[in-house]
Amino acid sequence: MTNDGERVPSPEETLRLIEEQRVATVKALRGDPLLLYAPWGMAWLLGFGAFFLHYGLHGVPYAPISQNQALGVLMSAQVVAGGLAAFGIVKMAGQVRGETSAKGTMYGYSWFVGMVLLGVIATRVSPMLPAAESGLLWAGASLMLVAVLYMTGGAIYLDWPMFFVGVWIAAVNALGVLLGPGWHALLTAVLLGGGQIAAGFWLRRRM
Amino acid sequence: MTADNTLPELDPVVHAQARLRVMVTLNTLGDGDEIAFPTLKDLLAMTAGNLSVHLSKLEEAGYVHITKTHKGRTPITYVALTKRGRLALEDYTKAIRALLDSTGGIS
Repeated sequence: MTNDGERVPSPEETLRLIEEQRVATVKALRGDPLLLYAPWGMAWLLGFGAFFLHYGLHGVPYAPISQNQALGVLMSAQVVAGGLAAFGIVKMAGQVRGETSAKGTMYGYSWFVGMVLLGVIATRVSPMLPAAESGLLWAGASLMLVAVLYMTGGAIYLDWPMFFVGVWIAAVNALGVLLGPGWHALLTAVLLGGGQIAAGFWLRRRM
Repeated sequence: MTADNTLPELDPVVHAQARLRVMVTLNTLGDGDEIAFPTLKDLLAMTAGNLSVHLSKLEEAGYVHITKTHKGRTPITYVALTKRGRLALEDYTKAIRALLDSTGGIS
């Protein structure tokens, strides 16, 4: 049928070839889900774990960790996670252009603007609150933004797992805020930090 | 399965393993997206020369769109599947499935 390329062997093999090539391409272009989810999961597990030890469940700390030290742990782990994400984005830049990268740029700026605005609002309001409630405002509002942006990301890229990770974050965040700072930190560390790590492993296996 | 038992004709442009792989790879990109030539070459593990030959055939058939541009001073080529290319791959896949059914394979 053709004389300038190998002939396609059999219908079964052809369909398998089509599927294999499709999966290999999606894997290569979308990036490794483990690298996307697990570093954030680890950051929240360590950071909110430190906050949990600081707050305790009944207002008594479980370990001599100050609020600033806990914040330091969370922030440095998040910087590492953000660095890994940025590395992935830079690696992908220029490989594919068009509507998807335009979506990615606008989506990226949405994260940035959301986080800046949240910082402005919380900085203005938090001095009026007791220290623990101020911490809860920062954590609860940040996670609300993360939840909504994950769900939005799911909508933009038609990525159901991403959407449901967002729903999960929203639900755990709401429950945690209702229960108070200690519970919020505990639930976030275990269910969201651990959950993101588990989601990363599960999504990688599923690919 | 085709009702009158005639076997579907396979598009000769798509019916070469190398070009089929090129088209499947391009088909995973979203509408309006283009992929850089070196990335495509790496994804397919083809040589630049070999890939160029196949892309020319696909371009002749109107299945791919090739844009040559510059990024700074470096020339860069982007490749995308055209609407016609997407339809051709869809038809080809349908034809292969019909063929599989008519030869008593997995239906």
